[in-house]
Amino acid sequence: MTAPDGRSAEGRGELNRSRLHHYAPWVFVLVLALLPLAFPDPYMLAVLTSAGIFIIGAISLNLLLGYTGQLSLGHVAFFGLGAYTSALASLGFDIGIGFGLRITLQPQPVWLGFIAAIIVAGGFGWLLGRLAFRVRGAYFVIITICFAQVLRMVALNWIELTQGPMALISIPPFSMWLPGQGVVPLYSKAQNYWLVLAVAVLAFIVVRQLVESRIGRALVALRANESLARSVGIRVTHYLVIAAVISAGIAGAAGSLFAHYIRIIDPDVFLFIYTVTMVIMVITGGKGTLWGPVVGGLIFGLVPDLLRGHARPEAQWVLYGVAMILFVMFLPRGIVPALASLRRRA
Amino acid sequence: MMNRRSLLLASLATPALSVSGFAADPIKIGMTQPLTGAVAASGNYVANGAKIATEVLNRAGGVLGRPLELILEDNKSNPREAVASVEKLVLRDRVPVLIGAWSSTFTLAIMPKLIEYKVPMVVETSSASRITTSGNPWVFRIAPTSEMEAVAFSALLSKFTPAMKKIDFLSVNNDFGRGAAEKFSAALAARGIAIGRTETMTPEATDLAAQLTALKQSDGDTVFVTTGVEQMTLALRQAVEQRLGKRIVTTGGSFPDQLLANPLPPGNDSFHILFYAPWFPERAPHPAIARTYTEEWNKKGWEFAGLTEGFRGYDAMLTVVEAIKLAGKPEAEAIREALWKVKIPGVNGDIAFAKEGPAGQESGQNRPNVSILRLSEGKTSLL
Amino acid sequence: MDQALQHLVNGTVLGGTYALLGIGLTLIFGVMRVVNFTHGELYAFGAYMTYAFVSLLGVNFFAALALATLCGVALGAALELVLLRRMRKADIDSVMLVMIGASLVLQNGEMWAWGGVAKLVPNPFNGSPLVIGPVSVLPLRLFVLAVSAALLLGFWLMLDRTRAGVAMRATFQDPETAALMGVRIGWVNTATFAIGSGLAAAAGALLGPVFMVSPTMGDLVGLKAFAIVILGGLGSLPGATLGGFALGFVEEYAGGYLSTEYRDAFGFLLIILVLALKPQGLVPAKERIG
Repeated sequence: MTAPDGRSAEGRGELNRSRLHHYAPWVFVLVLALLPLAFPDPYMLAVLTSAGIFIIGAISLNLLLGYTGQLSLGHVAFFGLGAYTSALASLGFDIGIGFGLRITLQPQPVWLGFIAAIIVAGGFGWLLGRLAFRVRGAYFVIITICFAQVLRMVALNWIELTQGPMALISIPPFSMWLPGQGVVPLYSKAQNYWLVLAVAVLAFIVVRQLVESRIGRALVALRANESLARSVGIRVTHYLVIAAVISAGIAGAAGSLFAHYIRIIDPDVFLFIYTVTMVIMVITGGKGTLWGPVVGGLIFGLVPDLLRGHARPEAQWVLYGVAMILFVMFLPRGIVPALASLRRRA
Repeated sequence: MMNRRSLLLASLATPALSVSGFAADPIKIGMTQPLTGAVAASGNYVANGAKIATEVLNRAGGVLGRPLELILEDNKSNPREAVASVEKLVLRDRVPVLIGAWSSTFTLAIMPKLIEYKVPMVVETSSASRITTSGNPWVFRIAPTSEMEAVAFSALLSKFTPAMKKIDFLSVNNDFGRGAAEKFSAALAARGIAIGRTETMTPEATDLAAQLTALKQSDGDTVFVTTGVEQMTLALRQAVEQRLGKRIVTTGGSFPDQLLANPLPPGNDSFHILFYAPWFPERAPHPAIARTYTEEWNKKGWEFAGLTEGFRGYDAMLTVVEAIKLAGKPEAEAIREALWKVKIPGVNGDIAFAKEGPAGQESGQNRPNVSILRLSEGKTSLL
Repeated sequence: MDQALQHLVNGTVLGGTYALLGIGLTLIFGVMRVVNFTHGELYAFGAYMTYAFVSLLGVNFFAALALATLCGVALGAALELVLLRRMRKADIDSVMLVMIGASLVLQNGEMWAWGGVAKLVPNPFNGSPLVIGPVSVLPLRLFVLAVSAALLLGFWLMLDRTRAGVAMRATFQDPETAALMGVRIGWVNTATFAIGSGLAAAAGALLGPVFMVSPTMGDLVGLKAFAIVILGGLGSLPGATLGGFALGFVEEYAGGYLSTEYRDAFGFLLIILVLALKPQGLVPAKERIG
């Protein structure tokens, strides 16, 4: 991982610290991977799996929000598109498209649905990127909200395809080839947990590679000063659209995981509050840092479930809102940058 | 059988029974309802019904010599949280039986988890037929499907004068609304009634002028309105404004209670299919139970109209506790077996489960009673 | 034909209230560059205050409307002083998130205080519709339309004729120059947010008795207000009025003749179309005030 403070220290201490920085993420992943073996508490695994899916969404949102500076409040659109695509691919469908023509799809293996989810969500990311980057700031925010709303209306009313509000049910769980067992559906908590963890690590690596590449540097230059970046010949729209496509694709992957984990999808998958959840994860952790969405995601993914039973339902929401306000007002750059600067001072 | 029934009846009818000291741990019963979000009003009513049933049963000595503990979780009016709430109830609180989850979507979201964790659930509200026909042996529904409601209604057709000739529908755009339009069309067409148009509305819509103006063009004499209680009230009020000029029948068991204090102008009577009419507990199939429920509810100072929905939670609780008693132990598999043997009187009527769905993995479905309430200038009467 | 006339009346009534909602939102954006996500909740707040004054305290209906609007002004001022004033240097995204947090607190606070059950607000108007030829409309709705028009007119006069209005317009056009000319931007912001909130609360107070009052009533309305403002052009007051009526008519006619299922979708499709063809809205922001 990138060590934002690695340069500040000197001598042997620096070497040790940077080595620590090099291994720390892998140790973290290893600890998470071993968790189900050490503490096989199914409730904890369920909560972590559910949070993990939203952390993947937050990682993808961070690419747009943190590295291009564009606040997308319709990010759940890609999540929902991925969920519907994957669910429909694995269930199959048969719809009329007018002129007496029909499109029929036999049920496909789940992993094909997963890939389709990434492609379809990425495609819509491209469309929205082309359309929305003509407008910036508040216009961009509101157009993304409207985009998610229109998709929700389509999901609600294109009943032949989506079953509308009656929801797509009996979505098969993920299946996977396991040594010695062949292809088996993943019913158990630990298996789903590992799958989500693996996709999260993959998403993290994709975003890291992108951010550290030429494209990433161009994006950061854009965020810092768009007109300057433009004047030195950075193709603004081009890079923004690439970021939008990759971000949407990862969100689609998260949606696919969600569909096969929850195993029912209805138009409420496009709910505004899901976007808010992802945004607050990124902001709390620290937008524009690789670890921000992970740290923020763990906090906002776990706390609502820990609050269950300890406060009135309405009070839980009020606390959620207050936490959101306090974080943005008093820790505007997020936890990860704040910790980093604390350590630099120490 | 009769003996046990009358015993339970007596215990339910006399709420002020002495409390014997409980030595043992309470038996936990899990419930998931929408307590916040879009449909929170109804979810809270149902939860309240279950709460007072728990109190009444505990005063009567609990079950198997142990007190009952109702653990209530919020499913926040969305399917993801419905699943999360059930995982908390089953995995953390280790409840052996569940009650839930109000909307069909929430119930359908939970159903795979019932198979995974092998825990039975008594479904108290959801109306989609798929819940009991998809082959989930852990589901026991006491609420009627839209089809049962339609069939029961068609038996009461003769109570309407002038007779219905052609009907239209105004339905909320979801499982509940669309299901009702479909099943009522089928049941009433079989009785020789012509079917006109169906207009739909999104659940959050407040201005229904466009739909009502369109319905006005139809030559039908009756409009069936299926939606939640708020939109139902809006539809009734706006029908007056748009001079709809047709008989309105609402389905689904909700009652637009706000129209009692703020009545519609004269000449705008409406009809409401209810599963419990709290104005007339003496007309319920088991008046003593209905009266206990109604009195306990009023003692809490809760909204009177909530009684029309709260009974679902009350009856579900009675059902679950009877199953635990029959099972002899608070264990999931034993309770599932015992639910098939439940035969008790509830607020709505007798509760017993018939098999539905593919052979070998049937779900349980109860056959509830319906009654039709007439609302006329803020006054209620039973048809 | 009868049906078309009825739709015209319905669309006008709907459009008037949409305009009222849009104006408050676009004013706040124009002056403060704040996208106000609490707008829908202030609408709900106005409606609940009307209910509280009429049903619980027995206040006269018309006095209750005025009091509820004033409560909205007070809550708006409080939000500005407690939250937004500290965030004047923050970027537009952070402010949006704080407002989303505030809307969650307000909505669930309302549910906590009032419960989830929807309330009807009694009103002194006759419940039977006024019938003119083929068209019928409730007297209450006509009253709402008249008050909306009066509020819009009064608001324009305030901007045009009063010192506060001049200060607001100056800040709208160029905050830095306005500050140099002696305008106290801080208080202009407080006044703007309070007035914008008051307009939202007034819309809720007026429409609460027409529809019903429930904790989630602000959700759809908040989204609609965004649609109206985007249609007209963010920060454009004539645009918000036009956008309000445009949305009202589109929903009414599309819903009446094409498909009621997609009724709410037409508004959003219209926005995507407008943004694709004319990204600055129907009335570009240069012609915003005065």
